[in-house]
Amino acid sequence: MSITRRVFLKNGALAIVGTSIVPSFLTRAVYAAETAAPGKKRLIVLFQRGAADGLNIVVPHGEQAYYAMRPSISIPRPRNGQESAIDLDGFFGLHPAMTAFKPLWDQKHLAIVHAAGSPDTTRSHFDAQDYMESGTPGLRSTDDGWLNRALQADPEVGASPFRAVAMGGALPRTLAGSVPAVAMDNIRAFTVGGRGPKPSLASNTFEAMYEQSVDSVLHGTGNETFEAVKMLRSADPEKYTPAAGADYPRGRFGDSLRQVAQLIKANLGVEVAFADISGWDHHVNEGSVQGQIANLTREFSQSIAALWTDLGDLAESTVIVTMSEFGRTMRENGNAGTDHGHGNVMWLMGGRVQGGKIYGDWPGLGE
Amino acid sequence: MPATRKPLVLIGLVLFAAALLAAGDKKSKTNASAEAAVSMDSRQSAPPIADDKKIVHALNRFTFGVRPGDVERVRAMGLDQWLDQQLHPEKIDDSAVEARIAPFRTLKMSAKEMVENFPPPQVLKAIENGRMSMPRDPGKRAVYESRMAQYQEQQQKKQDGVASANPAPAATTSSAPAPSTASQDSASMQGMSPAMQLNANTPTTPEQRRQQKQREDAMYADLNGDQLLQKPAEERYKAILKMSPEERLDLARVYKGEKAMHVIDGMRPEQRETIEAIVQPQAVVGGELAQAKLLRAIYSDRQLEEVMTDFWFNHFNVFIGKGPDRYMINAYEREVIRPHALGKFKDLLTATAKSPAMLFYLDNWQSVGPDSDLALYGPQRRPGRGRNARFPHPRPQQAKNRSGLNENYAREIMELHTLGVDGGYSQKDVTELAKVLTGWSIEQPQLGGNFKFNERAHEPGPKYILGRKIGEHGEKEGEEMLDILAHHPSTARFISRKLAMRFVSDNPPDTLVARMAETFQKKDGDIFFLEGFRQVLRTLFRSPEFWAADAYRAKMKTPFEFVVSAARASGADIQNAMPLVGTLNRMGMPLYGMQPPTGYSMKAEAWVNSSALLNRMNFALQLGSGKLPGTTVNPQDLLRGPAPADAEAALAALEQDILAGDVSAQTHAVMEKQLSDPQISQRKLDDANKTPNYGAIAGLIMGSPEFQRR
Repeated sequence: MSITRRVFLKNGALAIVGTSIVPSFLTRAVYAAETAAPGKKRLIVLFQRGAADGLNIVVPHGEQAYYAMRPSISIPRPRNGQESAIDLDGFFGLHPAMTAFKPLWDQKHLAIVHAAGSPDTTRSHFDAQDYMESGTPGLRSTDDGWLNRALQADPEVGASPFRAVAMGGALPRTLAGSVPAVAMDNIRAFTVGGRGPKPSLASNTFEAMYEQSVDSVLHGTGNETFEAVKMLRSADPEKYTPAAGADYPRGRFGDSLRQVAQLIKANLGVEVAFADISGWDHHVNEGSVQGQIANLTREFSQSIAALWTDLGDLAESTVIVTMSEFGRTMRENGNAGTDHGHGNVMWLMGGRVQGGKIYGDWPGLGE
Repeated sequence: MPATRKPLVLIGLVLFAAALLAAGDKKSKTNASAEAAVSMDSRQSAPPIADDKKIVHALNRFTFGVRPGDVERVRAMGLDQWLDQQLHPEKIDDSAVEARIAPFRTLKMSAKEMVENFPPPQVLKAIENGRMSMPRDPGKRAVYESRMAQYQEQQQKKQDGVASANPAPAATTSSAPAPSTASQDSASMQGMSPAMQLNANTPTTPEQRRQQKQREDAMYADLNGDQLLQKPAEERYKAILKMSPEERLDLARVYKGEKAMHVIDGMRPEQRETIEAIVQPQAVVGGELAQAKLLRAIYSDRQLEEVMTDFWFNHFNVFIGKGPDRYMINAYEREVIRPHALGKFKDLLTATAKSPAMLFYLDNWQSVGPDSDLALYGPQRRPGRGRNARFPHPRPQQAKNRSGLNENYAREIMELHTLGVDGGYSQKDVTELAKVLTGWSIEQPQLGGNFKFNERAHEPGPKYILGRKIGEHGEKEGEEMLDILAHHPSTARFISRKLAMRFVSDNPPDTLVARMAETFQKKDGDIFFLEGFRQVLRTLFRSPEFWAADAYRAKMKTPFEFVVSAARASGADIQNAMPLVGTLNRMGMPLYGMQPPTGYSMKAEAWVNSSALLNRMNFALQLGSGKLPGTTVNPQDLLRGPAPADAEAALAALEQDILAGDVSAQTHAVMEKQLSDPQISQRKLDDANKTPNYGAIAGLIMGSPEFQRR
């Protein structure tokens, strides 16, 4: 199946090259299509900012201590006909709002690593996110992100400007570094002076200005920017419809993932993508089967499941990994919430992922 | 004072220190302090900024950007004189900007008044349940009735099971409080007032749709017949108040965009606010606050006060999207941040710690000492009061629910507000500080109440922090600890570094930070003596590191700084600042919308990336060409002096106004090449004398690499 697709893309590329004068960026886009095709791997990194409560997301319903420590916010043991944990293996269960993940689990595309996290003991969101994103716990001086370093280790000459993309207004720390990375809020707005088929006068002028600028920072970013604008224009993002069954929920996270899928499927050479979802810092009124945690896990799981469906065959060569800066206290606090703790759940998804399994040593919740 | 004034008078000498030293100028030898400054300067390896750029540099750092004519004004006045004036904002007349923000009544309201005028759902619920009474004022009544009608409509919908069928929107609204700001901002992109944009909920069942259609038709007929919009503002307002609550809601549904503006056209501020509140009361609060911030930054002549208010707000960040903080932020900025912006750090720190805005934002208001009366005996009962003590032993379940010690605020005080993350404290110190601050709470936060110390929630016993013992004395414990933290050497270094990052460069020289920290904290025997920020800023201003050539345009503008500086440079006249609010939202820097307590980054890497750059270019073009809704940019305002003879002259003049004439040869050459393009020259074959498109040229200059820095 993947071979067919690749052959098709190659033929498509040749057809374009053969019939018209093709600008260099488009040729690159076509070659990039090769790299985006199955066979070339992609990594999508999703960050849950605010320290998600892993214990209420993948629930250790087999632990008596879990219920003892969380009298008002625990997720009930799996029980038919009631809002309760969705059982996975007799000991762990999914939060009931995460029904979208159950099929992925059953198909063994979804793996869970529980009680995982940074070895650093900080309980500051700021520090912990910084360590998670730099990939160097305890070392504040690291100036690039782990994902950027991973790309540096595999340098690619003439790489697509979309090799590394982040959804959002600002480039996240994870992708900061010497390998160019693109941050975008909205694919459609990724242009200068109008969306017409041809670049505007202003666009050309700015391109030349930044191209010739001696300001090293702005020169570099400017070049990446205009290269990316051209490629995106050729990919015609206005005409995107997600695959059947890919129902992205409303909200920023769903929008981000829809656009990640869009970029990948437009064959722009995306190798790594990053998106984040915030609001997990539930110190107060966290909720249980309903409430804040339920709403957020629902949005989270539905968005990812939609991305998975949308990617179709490409999911085979894609890995999705999630993380959060740290976990939360086992005990609920006096405000029906949880405070900062350590250890959390990470999700892994992919065609080649040995899913349907929970990885890691479960230390237990006992004292 | 004389001791501090003298060096200031000599600042001119300090600036030219290196040159003076070489030339052996007499003046530098006749004054000891000037000599000291000279020798300090000569240690620096970096060459100083060229003389002609110094005023621009100072303006770029101590204001939100150079307006046309600013350089000449400062030159006439003298740099040191100018700084002295900026350090005493109370002496600067600021009536122009006051007039611009006068229509925003919320700026003068207490949180309580705002809650009353722009009721949150909790208040409406309280009225519905009979716990509060309906206001008598007809304007307020109109707001309350319409909001309650809307609320009931929603409840009805929920009962009909429509809302629960699609849980996703609920997820978005409850997961992050931000979307309310976001929708308000995206609405504003069209240039309309925030509230009028909001789509009231659309009806869902066929029956509801039919009913609403009927009402709308009736209203259309009514409006067309009576021509509501043709009425004078006063009558129009009265007519709206006479409508039924449902009719008013429908009015909001029907009138969007331009039409919505017509509805409120010519009304007095309180009338406009009432109409906007009918649609969405909370958007009025956030909208006026954000607009006022922009207008002040753009038009205030007390620029340094604005810069420092912005700096300290960001340092002591609170988030508008967190519950009642929306109503508290106004008073927070007005009464806590601004009055201390150039004052003493200890006063500022203590004021933030007692502000409802901060106590709510970082959860301290709910923090209860594990061994406090409240934790042990619940809200009502007191121990050992004879017959009243009906439950001598705490009930475990209840005690458990009330024993929440919340460390959030204590941690951020040390990490973000005072010592800095490397300031030398431990997790134990955080926990102990949290205990010290138990009881620092708020009276009825949902109703905009004030600070209160709740003795019963306060953790008893001594606490041990940073190697000191804090004896048990209630509220005073917190004050004592804040005093210690404010005067800690780590705090002096941490704050000084942050200030230097704002005013000098992303990685300021250690020598400079040390010098500022020294001023920040002057030790006088055993008594810590803290100077106000005026002195710290003067130290900065006198330091050779500030005037080093590599500091010139070393700072990348944040989106806020970029937008404001563009508005200033272009002489824009802003009638409605909401489109600018929306712009900042798209640029990833929503005003008052930073959720984490870190505040926004001041470093270049946070703001330089492809999409940010595109946003900046597009905004520059939009502003220059006068296409930003609610904002007028006149070619006359762009170009001072006589009309330029040709496009080349126009380009040169605009470069002078927007970039103080300091543009690279490359950027200039690129723009020069475009001047003959018909879009710029606006010339057709038979019309050789058409004036060039100044706005387009200005847009290109404001989008240039040079304008992204300050």
